[in-house]
This record gives sequence, C-alpha cells and structure tokens, in this order.
Amino acid sequence: MRRGRTLIRTFVAAAMLAGVAGAGAGPALAQTAPPTTAPTTAPNPTAESVNEDLLFKQAPTIGGRISIPDQKAANLIQPQGREWRGFHETWMPWIGAAAILGMVVLLALFYFTRGRIRLEHSEESGRKILRFNGFERFTHWMTATCFIILALSGLNYIFGKRLLMPVIGPDAFATLSQWAKYAHVYLAWPFMLGIIFMFVVWLKDNIPNRIDVAWIKAGGGIIGDKHPHAERFNAGQKVVFWMVAGFGAAMSVTGLVMLFPFAATDINGMQVMQGIHSLIGVAFIAAILAHIYIGSLGMEGAYDAMGSGKVDLAWARVHHDLWVEKEQARTASGPQLRAHQAPAE
Amino acid sequence: MARMKFLCDADRCIECNACVTACKNEHEVPWGINRRRVVTLNDGKPGERSVSMACMHCTDAPCASVCPVNCFYTTADAVVLHSKDLCIGCGYCFYACPFGAPQYPRVGNFGSRGKMDKCTYCAGGPEPDLSTIEYEKYGSNRLAEGKLPLCAEMCSTKALLAGDGEMIAQIYKERVIKRGYGSGAWGWKTAYRETVAI
Amino acid sequence: MLIKRKSGEASRTKHQAIAAGLASGVLDRRSFLRKSGLAAGGLAAAGTIQLGAVRRAQAAGSAVSGDAVTIKKNICTHCSVGCTVTAEVVNGVWVGQEPSYASPINRGTHCAKGAAIRELVHGERRLKYPMKLVGGQWTRISWDQAIDEIGDKVTAIREKAGSDSVYWLGSAKFTNEASYLFRKLGAFWGTNSVDHQARICHSTTVAGVANTWGYGAQTNSYNDIRNAKTMIIMGGNPAEAHPISMQHVLSGKEINRANMIVIDPRFTRTAAHATEYVRIRSGTDIPVIWGMLWHIFQNGWEDKEFIRQRVYAMDDVRKEVAKWTPDEVERVTGVPGEQLKRVAEIFAKEKPSTLIWCMGATQHTVGTANVRAFCILCLATGNVGKPGTGANIFRGHTNVQGATDLGLDVTTLPLYYGLVEGAWKHWARVWDVEYEWLQSRFDEIPAKGGRKARTRKENMEAPGITSTRWFDAVNLPDDQIDQRSPIKAMMVFGHGGNTVTRLPDAIKGMNKLELLVVADPHPTTFAALDARQDNTYLLPICTTLECDGSRTASNRSIQWGETIVKPAFESKTDYEVMYRLATKLGFGDRMFKGIAVENGLPVAEDILREINRGGWSTGYCGQSPERLKAHMKNQHKFDLVTLRAPKDDPEVGGDYYGLPWPCWGKPEIRHPGSHILYNTNLHVKDGGGCFRARFGVERNGQTLLAEDSFSKGSDLTDGYPEFTMGVFKKLGWDKDLTAEEMAVITKIGGNNIDAVSWATDLSGGIQRVCLDHGVVPYGNGKARANAWNLPDPVPVHREPIYTPRPDLVAKYPTRPDDRQFRMPNIGFSVQKAAVDREVAKNFPIILTSGRLVEYEGGGEETRSNPWLAELQQEMFVEINTKDAADRGIKDGQWVWVSGPEDGTQAKVKALVTDRVGKGVAFMPFHFSGWYQGKDMRQYYPAGTDPVVLGESVNTITTYGFDPVTGMQEPKATLCQIRAA
Repeated sequence: MRRGRTLIRTFVAAAMLAGVAGAGAGPALAQTAPPTTAPTTAPNPTAESVNEDLLFKQAPTIGGRISIPDQKAANLIQPQGREWRGFHETWMPWIGAAAILGMVVLLALFYFTRGRIRLEHSEESGRKILRFNGFERFTHWMTATCFIILALSGLNYIFGKRLLMPVIGPDAFATLSQWAKYAHVYLAWPFMLGIIFMFVVWLKDNIPNRIDVAWIKAGGGIIGDKHPHAERFNAGQKVVFWMVAGFGAAMSVTGLVMLFPFAATDINGMQVMQGIHSLIGVAFIAAILAHIYIGSLGMEGAYDAMGSGKVDLAWARVHHDLWVEKEQARTASGPQLRAHQAPAE
Repeated sequence: MARMKFLCDADRCIECNACVTACKNEHEVPWGINRRRVVTLNDGKPGERSVSMACMHCTDAPCASVCPVNCFYTTADAVVLHSKDLCIGCGYCFYACPFGAPQYPRVGNFGSRGKMDKCTYCAGGPEPDLSTIEYEKYGSNRLAEGKLPLCAEMCSTKALLAGDGEMIAQIYKERVIKRGYGSGAWGWKTAYRETVAI
Repeated sequence: MLIKRKSGEASRTKHQAIAAGLASGVLDRRSFLRKSGLAAGGLAAAGTIQLGAVRRAQAAGSAVSGDAVTIKKNICTHCSVGCTVTAEVVNGVWVGQEPSYASPINRGTHCAKGAAIRELVHGERRLKYPMKLVGGQWTRISWDQAIDEIGDKVTAIREKAGSDSVYWLGSAKFTNEASYLFRKLGAFWGTNSVDHQARICHSTTVAGVANTWGYGAQTNSYNDIRNAKTMIIMGGNPAEAHPISMQHVLSGKEINRANMIVIDPRFTRTAAHATEYVRIRSGTDIPVIWGMLWHIFQNGWEDKEFIRQRVYAMDDVRKEVAKWTPDEVERVTGVPGEQLKRVAEIFAKEKPSTLIWCMGATQHTVGTANVRAFCILCLATGNVGKPGTGANIFRGHTNVQGATDLGLDVTTLPLYYGLVEGAWKHWARVWDVEYEWLQSRFDEIPAKGGRKARTRKENMEAPGITSTRWFDAVNLPDDQIDQRSPIKAMMVFGHGGNTVTRLPDAIKGMNKLELLVVADPHPTTFAALDARQDNTYLLPICTTLECDGSRTASNRSIQWGETIVKPAFESKTDYEVMYRLATKLGFGDRMFKGIAVENGLPVAEDILREINRGGWSTGYCGQSPERLKAHMKNQHKFDLVTLRAPKDDPEVGGDYYGLPWPCWGKPEIRHPGSHILYNTNLHVKDGGGCFRARFGVERNGQTLLAEDSFSKGSDLTDGYPEFTMGVFKKLGWDKDLTAEEMAVITKIGGNNIDAVSWATDLSGGIQRVCLDHGVVPYGNGKARANAWNLPDPVPVHREPIYTPRPDLVAKYPTRPDDRQFRMPNIGFSVQKAAVDREVAKNFPIILTSGRLVEYEGGGEETRSNPWLAELQQEMFVEINTKDAADRGIKDGQWVWVSGPEDGTQAKVKALVTDRVGKGVAFMPFHFSGWYQGKDMRQYYPAGTDPVVLGESVNTITTYGFDPVTGMQEPKATLCQIRAA
C-alpha cells in the first residue's frame, strides 16, 4: 500500500517535472504495479526464498520491516539513487549552464541588435510619478537580495566543485560551501516571505485581461511603431509576476520538503523534489536575468521604478498609459509631483 | 591490493542485530545513527529473509559523485570514506546512495543535518591512522590494525562476510554449492555492477 | 590529494592512540568513557567516588602513551550458549571488545546482546549505591546501613514468623559459585524456599528429562548439532533466543543438507530458515508428538533394538499413542495428517536426529509431560547417546544450567541430592557443620486446615514455595499455606519482577510484604511497580563481568570468567554481599568455614573447590578452577565439532571443552568431562556413559537395568545398579580403594559403610575405581518411558487452563485440584469456571509470549543498554492480518490487549503480521515499566529508569501451574485485542 502510494506520488512528481522542464531529464523512474501480497495461513519456509531479481520485478525499490523508528531505513536497496546521480551529475550541469548562459547570450544579442530602449521625451519629461511605495520596494529588494544569494549558493551545489574548488582549494571551498548552505537554508525564509508579500500586494494589478492580448500582439511595442496600451503592469511584467509567483511557490514547496527531510515523502520523492528544485532553480535564474536586464540595462528609466520608486511621467505615459490616467484621475485633487520638485533622496 | 566488499548471506542472516550493536560498540555510535541495520524482507511470510546493510563501498560510488564538495575518497583498499571537515551535511549522498547508508545527526533547526556519518568499513577517515582525532570523528580504524570490520567479525551465523571481494565471493560460492541454495549477493549488482555467479 | 593508503600495518594500537589523546579534553561522554576511565570516575561521582575510580582516573590522566592493553575473558551474561567475551582493558577501563575466535562455542561471534555487552558494565542507568524507600521516596544509604537494617529487619521477621516467611529468590545470572553460596545461605537460614529463573524456564525440562534417563540437561551440545541429519526445533526460537546456536544449527543444515523442521505456533525467524514448518495450536505438543509416534509405531520405524536394550515400558506409551490417530491429532492440534507423517518419517529414518526445545515446550501446565513426550520420541527412534542425536535443550540465562545444578531450587540441595536426610548429611559433611545445627535452623510447622504438622526434620525435607507463586504465599489465607506463616519478606537477587505470570497478584503481594530487598545491577520491575512506601531496599550488585567465577553453559560445559573491570560505582559482587549478610545474620564464620575470604571478599576459586568437594552426584567434582582456567587459556585447541582437545596437549590434553559434567572423580585423575551424555560408544574415561540407574533395579517384574548395552570397555557387560560400597564389596572392587580413600569412606559410613555411594564418597575413591573398571558410577539403567512417580506416568494431553477449544476440555481436562509446594493448585476449578463462563467467546485469541533477540528476561538490564534499546523501542503485540482487519487495527497503532482474569489490560503497539496464525497473538516478555496503560517511569530511582519501558505481558497472563514443578503457563492463554 505504502509503496503503491509512493509510486503514485512519484508518478505525479515525475509528470510535473517533465511538464515544467519540458524535457524528460528527470530521473527515469521505472514503474510497475505494486506487489500483491496474498495472505497465507501456514507459511512454507521451503518456498523459494526471496531474491533481488524477483523483488525488483515487483517494485522499483526493495524494502522490508525494520524495528528502529527510522522507517526510511526499512528501504534496503533503491537503485534510483544511481539514476538521480546520473541526472544530477550528468544532465544538471549542462541544463544549468545552457539555461543561464543561453539567457545571457540571448540578452547580449538583444542588446547588441536592439540596443537600450531609450526614454522617449515629451512635455511631461522631468515630472515624476510614484510607481512603487516604500513597502513594495522593500519587499522587492528583500526578495531580490535573497534570490541572488540563494541563486549563487544554489548554483554552488552544481558548479562549485567544478569551477570554484579548483581555484580556491578544498578547505576554503568547504568552508565557503558550509556558509553557502547556511545562507541557502536561512535566507529561504525571507525569500518565501517576500514571494508571499509580492503576490498579495501586486496580485490585483496582474490579473490578465484583454489589454494584455493587444500588448502581446504588438510585441510590447517592438512590432509597429506605436506603444500598446498598458495598465500598471503590462503583459510582459505580468508574465514576470506569475513566473515569480509560480517558480517561487515551486521552489518553496520543494525546498521545504528538502528542509524537513523525509517528513513528507520517501527517498524517491526526495529525489524528485530535488530534481524539480534544481531544474526550476536554473529556469528561475535565467528568467530573472532577463528581468534584471530589462529593469536596468535594457530600458532607460525602468530602474527608477524600484530605485527611487518614482518614474518619469513621460516614461510612464508611454509604457503604462492606462495606469497613469487612472492614477491621475484618482489623485487629481491630490498633490502632484512636479518637475524640479523631486524630493531630496 | 585487496578490493574490500561486504556480502550478506541472507540464508544465514537471522536478524540478530549483532552487526548493529558491534558497530555501536566499536565506534561509540550515538543513538539515532545507524551505520548498519538489518532489514527483514517478506516479514512473517514464506521466503522471509533478513539482510544486514550498511555502506557497500560501491565501485564508482554515487555518493562521491554527487557530493557538492567532493568530500569522498576511495582508499587503496577500495573503501569509500569521507572527510567530515569538508562535508556540509547537504544530504545529497543520501539521495544518491542506493543503500541508505549516509546518516546525519540532527543539529540546529528544521531537521537540518550535521556532518554525514556512515560505515567506514572500520577504516577511519582522512586523519592519520589510529590517531585520536580520527577516532573521535570516525571511530576505530581496525583495517589499519590488520583487522576486518567488527560487524562481520562478530556476525552470529557468519552471514555477513567482509574482506577482499574475490575471497568472500569464493566463500559464498562454496557455501551455496555445498548447501544447494542461495538468494544471491544482495546489493552487489547495484554496488559493484557484478554478481556472484554460481 | 585525499587518497590515503591503508597498508594494514599498525604502527601503534588504537588503545595507545586513544590513551595518547586523553589530554585533549573536548570529548563527549561516550568517547570519554571509552578512552580513559575518567568517566568511570565521573560516573562514580554520581554516587560516591570510590578509591578504584580515583585510581583509574589518575592512571588515565597520567597515561600519555604506551599503556598496556590487557585482554580479559569472561562469559556473556545473556543466554546459555556461553559465548566468550574478549575484553580489552586499559588502565582498568573496558575500552573495547574483540571477537573471541578461540572459543569453540561462539568462534568470534555474538548476537546483539553480546556485541553490546560492554555497555552493560559502563551503563549509566545502573543502580549506583544502596537505596531505601522512605515514605515512597528513594533515599541513598550506605552499604553498612543497608546490611544492618536489612539484617535487623529480617531477623525480627524470622523471630516473629519463622524462617520460611523469608523468601530467597536467586538468579540464573549468578556464577556457579554465587548460586551455590545462595543455596547454602538458604540452607543456613533454614528454608527450602530458594528458587531462581529455572522455575519459569526449564524446571519442567529438568524434572521431566531427569525422570526419563537420569539427568535433566541437554544431552549433547550446540556444536554437536553439526552432526545431525534431521533436527526438529519444537517450541523454541533460537534465532532470537540463542542466536549463536544458529551458527551450529545452520552449519549442520548446510553441511549435511540436514532437515530442519520447526514446529511452533509462530512462524519464527528460526522457521524462516527451516526446510519445513509445522504450525500447531499452542499447548498441543503431546498430541503432536504422539501423532508422530503413531505413524512411527504404525510403520515400524522405531528403533526396536535400542528400545529393547535401553528403554523401560515403551509398550505403555504405545497404548496411549494408539489413541492419537491422524484425525484426532488434526482435530486437536490443527496439523495436517500428511505433513505430520512426513515429519515423523524424516525424524525416524533420516538419522541421526535431534530434538531441540525451549520454553515453548516447558512453559505449560503440562510442561513436564511435554518434555517427557519429547524424550520418548527420541528414545523410540534411538536418537539418544550418539553424535548428532539427543535432546538438545537450549536453556535460557547464561548460567541457568549451573544455577539449577547448584540447587537454586525448592526441591533440592546443590547438585540434585534432593532434600532427604542423606542429602543434608552429605552437605553438612562438605560444609563441616553439624547436621543438627542445620536442622535447628528450620521451622516447626503446626497442623493447618486439617493437614498434619511437620517437625523440623520433616520441614527440612519438604520442598519450598516456587517463585511462580511467591505472591500466592503472601496473599492466600494463612490456613492454606503449609508453613509457619505466609511469606513476609522477599530477598530478590538478580530476578525481575515482571517475569512471572499474574502481575496484578504480584503487586498485591508486594504491597503486603513487610520487607523487600532487591539486589541487582538494576532496580528491576520490583522497584517500579509503585506498590510500596517503606521497608524496601535496593542493593547495587555488579554484573558477572565484574567478578570471577564459573558458568555452566547449556551443554554443561563450565567456563571460567575473570573479572574484566572492578565493580562499577558502589556495586559489590554477589559473594561479598552474601558474606556480609551471612555475617550480619550471625552465621558468616560457619558458612565460610571452608572458603577463603580476603579483605572481606570470598575467593571464587575457593567456592568452586568446595563445590568440587561435594559435587559427586553430577560430576561437578573434576572441574577445578585450575583446569577451567587452563581451558580458557587454551580455547583454540578444542575441536569445533567434538569439542575435544588433542590427547597430547600438556595442559588440556584429551579434555572436552569446559569439562562438561559429569566430569568424574577428583581433578587429579583428569576425567575429560562428558560431551555427549549416555554415549555407549565411548569408554567412560573418554566421556562415555549409559542411562542412569536412578530408579531402582526392577519394577513390576521388569528390569530397570540395561540389557546387553554398556559403555565401551566396561568390565560389566550388562546393566548394573549404581555403585555403593555394598556393590563394591560384592564385586571385590573395594580392594582397589587406597587406604586414604577407605578411611574417608569409613568415616562417612560409620556403622553402615555399605551405604556409602559414588555420590556421597567424599574421597572420590569409588568413582576412581569405577572409571578404572570402565563402568559409570551411577549405574547402567534403562530410560523410563513410564515414569511412575509422576502425576501422568505416561504423558497425556491436557488442554490449557484457558483454552480456545472448550469443546475439548471434557475429553482432555487439566489435572484435578491438588496441593503442591505447600499450597493449593486449583487449575481444574479455574479451567472449569473458564469453560462455564464461556471465556473463549469474549477472549477468542490465543496469547503466547516469547523472546526478542535484543532483550533478555525481564529486560531491565538490556532495556537500559542504549545500543540495544534503540533497536526495540516499543512493546508490541503481533496480531494476524485477518484478526487485525476484523478489528480495524492497522500496523503500528495503539491497541489494548485484555486478559481473561481480573479485567487486566495492556496498552501496546500492534504489529500486524502473518507470522502468527489467525486467532493467535504474540507478545514479548521483556518489557515492564508501564502498567495497564500507565507509565511508571517516575517510580524508578532517579537515573536508573531503563531507556525503554513498556507493558509487561504478564499483566495479562493467567493462572495455571505444572503439578510437578509449579511452572507457570505464559505460552497458552487467551486474550482479546481492540484498537485503543
């Protein structure tokens, strides 16, 4: 029974993994039906004793009964360890490298072909509008900081021994890795908190709608010469939001499962969780690289949104026209930030 | 040079757990850490067999391969050991190990693991042989004294064999030929990619 | 960079290395302990720092390198196999255990308990100093105060209520020497109520087997099982109870491709390795055996020549067996007829065959009859007295054989002399005390309940009260107990309180006691049952690993164990405590007249020498401490299968390992011991023998002496009676005696010199001359298929008191109510009431109990050992998958197991398994510390509570006693199980 349930869980997890990764690079988990155990009244010990081959035909792992409370010790042999190792050591470094370096190359290509998206000046240039308040910015940067450290310490699990250790030596590397592990384990909590805050605060502005369809059709302004309409967040930003929310949730769930080993699942489940965590991890990193690019180098004026929180009204009018209208309507009677009145920072 | 292996003759193993307590005794292994354990398959059913399992000291050990800090090494006797100085307690080796060998003391918050501990084949660790520091971190170093692992030496029915792989395979083969049955060398295929052919 | 070569050459030993690291000062407690002995000081500091500990600490502290490793050999305390424990000691601290490859018994190996035994000595949870209960609080006291107070109180009780009101419960964990001293202490105190664990393990074996062929012990040995072609293990689970024996069993099975048949209600770990498993209903052993014999007699598979020569009255058995047709056997036992026929044929034909049994056979109201039936099966098929055959009875505790031999028994003085006048006089001579003085120590018993009074002499010769019923002797009305007064005080040495059935009654009894003294390394269940407020003492006794002395393994081999380390904490050896107690009670000098006492410590070797001087009846006379020590030193010289050393060896030449008794004559004549009892193919000087002529020479016109059968090289080529001076004179052998021997014999015999026998001749002359003539001192008799002195001379089936088959009670009732061991045994009334009340309807599941490999006995000792306790952390009940499904019980969940008496119940974890058949439940008997759902941990003295506690199975076990030995019945009772 237990084994059956585990298999189902593994199946589901494997399916998820395949879906998310889009490439069946997860541990290949051979599945067969769980063994049926016919009740016997008077066992016959001369019956052929169990042997490995037979048991492996019945189930992918061999387990039995053990008297100590540590029930994971009841698992005798789980050859999936080797498959997980194959995934983690053979595939994962390449997947990780491809995802991250691929994104870097892509962004470089974009930068060099398209160049930096320049701020379009208008009469409103110089006037500022508040785009993100203090709490929003705090949340963003807390999450972002955590993310960067988590990403680096996470990548260390894959690439550290390949890239860093030969440079700094095993002892320094082990010390570094130990700290990296602590950082990874402890910063996971503020990161998860940040994900939750961002989700709550920005959810209402990120519900997809028809405007997004037009925005996407216009390629966010790349196609054609007119900027498509956008509310507070355009479709591209909404994608980032949902990506962060989704990946963040997946990273949190799989991370938590690993943080409390074997509390929720068995060894095969742990392997799957680790696989998902690392695959999504590199995808997340790649995506966030794009996010960083567009928020800084890629687009003039975008950084201010998270920097000072205030953006140039002209920039806002171009990229988030509907939001600006709404915002101005809402605050028509309220104070408007005018040119040259920017508060000291 | 000898290639050290373990072989548990399940047709002899009676789940007496001597191997488990011998290990505790020899290395003062604390409560909750089970470098060796005995699992009973088909418990209470026909064909019931028990197998004593610890680190099998695999050929091309998965633990060593997945370790993010490369703390594992293989001795000239083919014993897979690790350095607790380098280990960061990440748990990867447990995911990779087909035999559930790595053990972690619980330290700190939310189930976070301390430095991994596992069967050393009674061969200590990277510190100088028979040094106090080696004993404190890894337990006894019987191999350096010219002795074999105590679990196998004390096995009540001589089910658990330790020693050079070829020699113990030969002993097992002779046993099986003599008695006419044998459920095989458990874990050998997974650990060594070979089996004892009879 | 990280590659390190292991050359296999040690530059230093680990101990030197460990010693070298002592100064580091950053060690955790465990490694600290192992390393230095500093921790021994630290532990002692929890009690008081003793000189020894201080010395060790200092020695350890100053030891920087080069400390010598001393190797000490002792014997594992956990079962009767007798595994040698090899200890490495540095600076008086036991730092490591090495495999004992030299021992022919365990050949380096151990089970979980043996491999963890070092922790027993270091154990943090041991009792560290004497304590007493003051108003329900444990209070530390000094040894002097403890001995003084106990002595005064017990003397006061004696004056008020007589010597029989004090119960002396000894231990199978004693060394032989301590067992002997304890029995002697009882004798000097003036009571026969001196018992130990054999009562509840193999008392029925001893009685049944001795009544069949002479001695109640394993006829062959563990090693000899290697010779067997067929082995039946019936009512035993050596894989858990005697794991090292399985080395020999499985080797035999493999080498000879032997048949290994397990007959048991439970598909045990042993059964998992069998070639055939027969599932029977608990308590139907006799029908199973008779069912086998039915086929054997029907088909003429019996050994007719063997029966003619060496068995008396087999025809009486034939008559009983004829009733057990295959149909009836299947109806009663549940064993399919075809299977039983197959098993019977294998056992009778594929010889040599051996029958191995344990407590599954003995712990029944029909225990004695069971083992008698087993013996008869061996006799009928000629499977006694040859290699590979025999009744291989696996005893329980380390020295339960020796403690039994040395008379921790309510029916005998040491070495089976019984309680008759001759026995007392024999021991009075050995002890050098006046018989009259011993007699004066006993009570005079007034007439009670219409039963007549007993004089001191009669009381001296009346069996005492069995340990299974000590509490009945407290609780029952005075007029039902045939002694001066009910029991008022318990002196418990090394005996758990949870090992006897009917725990609730035991608690009532504890409540009423005026004094309870528990002398043990651990407080035991007695301390934890919350039954007392005052007048309760705990005395810390060291383990037998911390004292010198010999132990008799199940195969009768005697092994000398040397002190590994000095007693830890404030604990003392049994010897010292008994000496101090005897001195306080006023007979110390008298009791230790022949035993050297150095610095207040009786010398173990000297006690053994006294045993040698009096142990003629059982051949405990030749095993001097010097010879035993030579055996331990030369262990490697003994053959694995024959257990014999090469004849030319200067120290142990020709000896069998451990000089298995009988080892005839004085040590100087160097009898080799007897590896296989009753083996006529060997000269008596090579350990040969024949059945003991113990029961006379003739009965009902039939001879009781062997016919045409005798041991090799015998001067007498037919049966002969046991040897006395009278017989010697007739044969003219008295002339062979030396003048010194004659002088001793004359002194013993007085005006009836002819009555001096091989067993009472303190000179050893009669035995020496017998050996020279190639005859066995005890005579050459027939084994008895009919033991007319027993309640059931030929075993008959009797249903358990609480039987799941009330329909069978009318045909197979238990024995009528009777009086045994000074008290009534109302088994018949209880059975009748159970049937009338239809108990089996409300309690439909058979409850049987047994052992786990990790624990032993009452389990306090092993459950206090963290290395073992970790492996079994919860008390459980094995319940069949179908029974569990019917009750909605899932594996691992809490259940209540309730018993049919007094509404008792126990809260345990369910272990759902097909190991037990439908309608059967199994519980291990090692647990205590919970009582009917309540955790009793708080009642232990602080720091002495075992790591693991759990319900005792005996909370729910029930009434039922074997009429011959008072054996309890924990193997077949009834229960009900429901989800908690």
